[in-house]
Amino acid sequence: MITFDAVSLAYGGRGAERSAIDRISFDIPDGAFTFLTGRSGAGKSSLLRLIAGLETPSSGEIHVDGVRYASLKPRRVTALRRRMGLIFQDNQLLLDRDVFDNVALPLIIGRFSWSDIRRRVPMALERVGLGGLGGAHPATLSGGEQQRVGIARALVARPRLLLADEPTGNLDADMSREIMDLLLDFNHAGVTVLLATHDTALLEHHDLPRLTLSNGRLAGREPERAAEPSHASPSPPRTGRNRS
Amino acid sequence: MSTRPIARLVTRLAHTHRGYALARSVAQLRTRPIATTVTLSVLALVLALPALLLFADDALGGLAQRDTMRPSVTVYLDPSLSDLQGAERAGELASRPGVESTRYLSRDEALATLQRSDELGDVLGELGDNPLPGSIVIYPDALPDQPGEARRRIGALVERLSAEPGVDQVHYDLVWVERLGAVLSLLSIATVLLTALLLLTALTVIGNTIRLELLRRRAEREVADLLGASASFRDRPFLYTGALFGLLAGLLALALSLVARAIVKVPADELATLYGGDALPLLPPLALLVLIPAVGLALGITGALSGLYGPSRVKVRAQR
Repeated sequence: MITFDAVSLAYGGRGAERSAIDRISFDIPDGAFTFLTGRSGAGKSSLLRLIAGLETPSSGEIHVDGVRYASLKPRRVTALRRRMGLIFQDNQLLLDRDVFDNVALPLIIGRFSWSDIRRRVPMALERVGLGGLGGAHPATLSGGEQQRVGIARALVARPRLLLADEPTGNLDADMSREIMDLLLDFNHAGVTVLLATHDTALLEHHDLPRLTLSNGRLAGREPERAAEPSHASPSPPRTGRNRS
Repeated sequence: MSTRPIARLVTRLAHTHRGYALARSVAQLRTRPIATTVTLSVLALVLALPALLLFADDALGGLAQRDTMRPSVTVYLDPSLSDLQGAERAGELASRPGVESTRYLSRDEALATLQRSDELGDVLGELGDNPLPGSIVIYPDALPDQPGEARRRIGALVERLSAEPGVDQVHYDLVWVERLGAVLSLLSIATVLLTALLLLTALTVIGNTIRLELLRRRAEREVADLLGASASFRDRPFLYTGALFGLLAGLLALALSLVARAIVKVPADELATLYGGDALPLLPPLALLVLIPAVGLALGITGALSGLYGPSRVKVRAQR
């Protein structure tokens, strides 16, 4: 469960402050697949960074999995981030190592044993359709394959929450659909997914809950139920289904 | 033995936090061989000079402790005194206040020493009897650093010795010992200052190298941060890189200075012999051999820390 309660975020120093997020409140229940939409600069990435604990809100409160961020020391917020998976538009792969080592990085950070790493990384690659490509160099892969490696890396530690920032932004329609199907598969397996995108084709293609941002404010939510507080209710099942 | 188990062990270790950091550090050094070689060479040269000065200071210090280089007063005895009487007088004088030790030089020993001299050897050979008196070399207690006070104390000692029965002449030469002491003292201060400057240079070079590495590998640190890596996980490879640079540069500096020492060994041995010293040992003391790489390692770690956390540190964008 992700809860935002009147959260604001401003960048810049005193006198030159620019509001990136302006008093936003919403809930995302466990196991949901939610789109975060809005034009470029609407605050989507800032919102994801707030959830990931990469930014500290100027005001308001954020709860993730019942943990109140404001009460945590930075080290604990970093530890909390290890329980999330992050996917980026530019996939952020490290080009000085092979695919295996890229995917293994979250496991090394999380102090997983070598036997776990050796078992989980090929499984994650297999899951995203890149089985046997562990020894390949990321630079030799296509854009879609690189994005899959990014997804494998985000999911190899089996997080409960997946934050994806424009993961299909650099991909053509076919590849976007493949990536989206992959994310939906993970959502089926119980992973909460929050996907930031302004890809209208993708949004029209999938009937899924969405939060729309405009100039840092919450301009809309569909359906209303998905954004209502749901602390007391058990984790609902998937809140959307692929139309295709 | 097959290398596969070793390779497996290395792979396993490379996926632990510290093993990963070490593997990344080695990769940093290996992926840019020219830059690594240049940096290591500069550091090794910067560290080699203080190492050489340390070796020289050690050798000169040893020479200065030799009897021939210590301030001494020579008492020439009445030629009528026998060697036994002379030796007894030497023992007696050794217990006097202001005297640290004495050494009796018999008439025969004095003659033998002079006969080894090229100029006087032939002349002495033509003389029938040994014309030389027995003598006692007196080493005073430790003298104060101030030349005036040292001179006053020696003067008082000479005055007392001159009045002793059986003493023919008292000879001392403090001036050249003072000069040598002043030169050695100056060299010591210059060594300390130069060493401090060069170590500061090494520190700056390592700090700057790490800062450049941080800039070059900013993306890697940001990705690690995004994946929930702790600060120590992000920074450790750079700390290890600094330590590796320092340690390797220290070892290289040691090798360079040992080569230089071997080159100057022959003339240095000749000089030492002239002043009654021993030949330079093949290797400097073990403490110095360990000290140079250890100083390199410490500098490497300190330089890396300054690059990571100093005022010009490179921040990661993903950090809060």
